[in-house]
Amino acid sequence: MLNLLLRYINLMVLTIAILVIISFSLAYMFPGDTLTNISGIVPQSNEQRVALEAVFKLDRSIFVQFWYYLENLISGDWGVSSSSQVSLLEEISIAFPATIELITYALLVSIFVGIPLGFIGGIWHHKPFDFGVVTFSVVSYSFPVFWLALIFITIFCLQLGYLPLSGRVNFLYDIPHSSGFILWDIMRADIPDKKDAFLDALRHLILPTASIALVTTAIFIRFTRRSIMDEMNKGYIEAAKSRGFTTKQIFFKHGLRNSLLPILPLMAMQISTLFTNAMVVETIFSWPGIGNWIIQAIYQRDYPAIRIGMLVVSVFVVTLTITIEFISRAIDPARDKFQRGAV
Amino acid sequence: MPLLDVKNLTVEIDTGSVFVKALDKVSLTVETGEIRALVGESGSGKSLIVRAIIGAIPDHWIITADRLTWKGQNLLGMSNEQRRIIMRREIAVVFQDPTSSLDPSATLISQLEESIPEELLDKGMFWHRNKQRRQIAVGLMHKVGIKNHEACMQRYPHEIAADIAQKFMIAMALVSEPELLIADDPTRSMESTTKNQILRLLSGLNETRKLAILFVSHDLLAISSMAHTMTVLYCGQTVESGKVKHLHRRPLHPYTKALLDSAPSFQINLPPKSHLVALPGTIPTLKHLPIGCRLGPRCPNARKECVKVPEQKMVHQHSYSCHFPLHSPVDDDLENKQ
Repeated sequence: MLNLLLRYINLMVLTIAILVIISFSLAYMFPGDTLTNISGIVPQSNEQRVALEAVFKLDRSIFVQFWYYLENLISGDWGVSSSSQVSLLEEISIAFPATIELITYALLVSIFVGIPLGFIGGIWHHKPFDFGVVTFSVVSYSFPVFWLALIFITIFCLQLGYLPLSGRVNFLYDIPHSSGFILWDIMRADIPDKKDAFLDALRHLILPTASIALVTTAIFIRFTRRSIMDEMNKGYIEAAKSRGFTTKQIFFKHGLRNSLLPILPLMAMQISTLFTNAMVVETIFSWPGIGNWIIQAIYQRDYPAIRIGMLVVSVFVVTLTITIEFISRAIDPARDKFQRGAV
Repeated sequence: MPLLDVKNLTVEIDTGSVFVKALDKVSLTVETGEIRALVGESGSGKSLIVRAIIGAIPDHWIITADRLTWKGQNLLGMSNEQRRIIMRREIAVVFQDPTSSLDPSATLISQLEESIPEELLDKGMFWHRNKQRRQIAVGLMHKVGIKNHEACMQRYPHEIAADIAQKFMIAMALVSEPELLIADDPTRSMESTTKNQILRLLSGLNETRKLAILFVSHDLLAISSMAHTMTVLYCGQTVESGKVKHLHRRPLHPYTKALLDSAPSFQINLPPKSHLVALPGTIPTLKHLPIGCRLGPRCPNARKECVKVPEQKMVHQHSYSCHFPLHSPVDDDLENKQ
């Protein structure tokens, strides 16, 4: 087990190292001044330029520069945004939790809707309910996310007026920023109309979560349905039937676990899809998350922000994917423990 | 009354466009305490008979029978729940491939303990139950010849050898103290030492517990050493059925003779370097079944009448389906006495 853990940590460290190298080289590859790209500051005079180059070690060899860059990344000194001159770490620590909150709820919805539906469809396959489930999954899988979000806005915000159009919470409520997760912050906050604020935040969450969760739910339904259909036709299920176990016993003691094991890593793969969709949806709903923030940075040619934003998002996705892959490998006894780690 | 009585069992399977009779009027009986061998080539429908008996035939296949009874109860007519209870307590099955018949993600001991019916535990409090289960499971493992049970009970199915897995399957089959054990080619792909262990175990169980066994195999040597009676199957038709020694001494059906001749160990006076006898051709596929007697195209004695399915004829416990039997049927038992 330790061996396996080391393999996965090795894989993770190497992948992140490559991402850091790419993000460092972006400072050279982006158009414009390398000094501005790496520091976020536009030098006003020649003296300032020389001083800044000395600080960022741009007068030294590229390896020294990279080492210094790495040190800064680890110590949390990520430079400043060239458009707002605010520390990037600060901006990201505000924007990133909002995105994580959104995708967490979307993932939970997909898991609690997609997996049970997939199981029911797989067990009673080729029955009317299963046709309904498959139709739902194919239709919702085929929707482009941004278009779906716009349709939701048209119907529920503009036509019916049930739900708010944008943002995380109404401006009436002044929520102090502590963790960055809005529901948690409201619960912790010391404000008079806490319950109303909480409900308002929930109403803001419904549409973005639904638009992201729909595609992922469709994918989960397909994985689960396929997997349970495969497993329930295997020899050990027939052997269990021949031993006279009840259908319930066979499903819950054998079928469920064995069909979940192969789809766990497949689901981990969906995190990147989830993230991409979240970025698109954030822009549409003006959700103050990392996707919205990166797109604003792209509009303003804020190269330091683009560089660091890309690094943070990709490190997050890689870490999560490898962790889930490791867990699924560790709990599946049939998989070879000495196989190489893979994403 | 026989334990298991199958008369004219026909299973029609869906090949996509048409239904094909994969089993055509198969008859088979298993008496209490006997070992009945079911012999046939690969693809002759042996496993299909097993699946028909245990009720694992897909719903859209057509299954008809004059009789398919277990101790006089009609298996085809009863509800799934009744059938499940019979499978739980009275009939047990051991499958061909032991490793794939075990849940890959559960330890062997937990699967064995799961098979123990609640009724076998005496009525202690629920915290005594686990200990009782463990005792019963360990006892069973010793009974089927797993001596170092500590070494393999916490293992997963892919970590152990096929013969140990098959012993676990037999242990699971025996746990509910069944009256009939259906062994569907239990020694397939095992080398002869482990095969002999499994076979000895089965015949031992038959002697000590009066356990009836339906032994499905194509291993004639194993059958002749342990089985009492045997039924020969060719291409979904029963060709001959009777006591093993009678079939050996005087096979009535050409196929039975060819089958026995193809195993040189049975021929005492076989001269050295003589040809191995085999029927020409191969077993027909399901899509190209001959009409009438399905052995027809390969049969050395086939004549015009063979395009009609021969009636099953019964002479003193020895039944055969052939228009032109190799010998005139006589009473084998009477001959024994003389």
